[in-house]
Amino acid sequence: MKPVAIILAALPLFAQSVATYDSSRAVKLTGVVTRIEWANPHAFLFVNARDTRWAVELGNPIALEHDGWTRNSLHVGDSVNVEGIAARDSTTRVFGKSVILTKTGKKLFTPIPRRAIALAKEPAPRWPDGQVRLGPAPGKKGYWGAASGNALVDNTARKVAMNEEGLLRNLAEVDRVAPFQPWAKAVYEYRQRTLLKDDPLTRCLPPGGPRQFQMPNGFQFVEQRDLGRILLLLGGGNRNWRVIFTDGRPQGQADEVVRSYYGNSVGHWEKDTLVVDVIGFNEHFWFANGGLPHTEALHLTERFTRPDLGTLRYEVTVDDPRTYTRPWTGGWNVPWVPNEEMQEYFCEENVEATLSGKGSYK
Amino acid sequence: MACLAIYLPIFAQQGHPLTGTWSGTWGTTPAQRNQVTIVMNWDGKNVTGLINPGPDSIPLSSVSVDYSRWTVHIEANGKDRIVAEGKLEDLGSYHRTITGTWAQGTTKADFKVTRD
Repeated sequence: MKPVAIILAALPLFAQSVATYDSSRAVKLTGVVTRIEWANPHAFLFVNARDTRWAVELGNPIALEHDGWTRNSLHVGDSVNVEGIAARDSTTRVFGKSVILTKTGKKLFTPIPRRAIALAKEPAPRWPDGQVRLGPAPGKKGYWGAASGNALVDNTARKVAMNEEGLLRNLAEVDRVAPFQPWAKAVYEYRQRTLLKDDPLTRCLPPGGPRQFQMPNGFQFVEQRDLGRILLLLGGGNRNWRVIFTDGRPQGQADEVVRSYYGNSVGHWEKDTLVVDVIGFNEHFWFANGGLPHTEALHLTERFTRPDLGTLRYEVTVDDPRTYTRPWTGGWNVPWVPNEEMQEYFCEENVEATLSGKGSYK
Repeated sequence: MACLAIYLPIFAQQGHPLTGTWSGTWGTTPAQRNQVTIVMNWDGKNVTGLINPGPDSIPLSSVSVDYSRWTVHIEANGKDRIVAEGKLEDLGSYHRTITGTWAQGTTKADFKVTRD
């Protein structure tokens, strides 16, 4: 009998930011919807209640639509009851845990139970020459979904507990995350203590490095074997893409490569594993959830292995001698999302601006 | 007169907090200020750099940081010896600052520089 893995064909919602919301401050509102903003990374409702205009943050629109909700599930003028948690800055902003349409009592924007898809542990698809395919088999659809790991951690350490955003449950465990140099440890602790408030991702900067594989909207490979390259299309981070050259060219010289968010990638196959060497990163981003620092000296060795149809093993060795005392390795598994195409995602920073009334978002 | 708006890219530098170009002033009073530019770079073991890049630049002879308090000690030997003691603030900001005391020769002053 074949072993069978059960996965739910649903994208996870973005977790509400702990830097923005205080889970200890519950808010209940009853009011009228005046506006619906169906934008990434979070949809918003605007509700007039208690003589005030409230902004109610919901899940990610891609995930909501995946669950069957649309901007038309609710209309301007509808009366709603909202339960949520308040923003830390005491503005009239709420993360909506529950939205109920007053006239019917229907609960909106919650995950709708969906039929689980039984994904047999089938063998990975292969090219005619036997090489593993990283994409779907011919005539099939699918892409790689959300990573099994929330944060990148040195795999020589015991399990380190973190939340979905990479915040340590216990800050005293910081030394087990990675072999930090003293400055890097201090920066990491600062970012953790300040609840990741300065995360460049919240300003819609690209998630370079391993973080591109921690985004909730997934990614897919397009193998252009005749051109000697693999395109990596990223579902999160503004629909970015990356090229992995597999034509045998040597890696560039670190001092000559133009610095970028995704770096300069050259790859080769070692049996069924794609090994990718990446250098040439800039310092404008955090390369993993939780705020791990790096410098331009960052050198990654990524290993992508597909042991079966439904699993991609991602392993990365981090070598940045200006930041860490030794190279270290971490990784996670990524599940295959069958029979679907990756959705469009763009980060729209100015949703934040519209809440403050200072931005140009219309 | 036409006004020309120029957009300057703002890139937060997320690596070593001292790496980059810092601009500001030092002086003995709020009215008597001297422009200063400090360029620093973390090489993995030390912070190196110089004060006022150009023909009269002064190389930094030592830079040390207390990472528990984010205080910075800078020394440079030009025509006069410079010793600056400051605190790094707004660590996660695009434009973090170092503010503190500036001693140049026998002159005691204060300084503030902001990362460009």
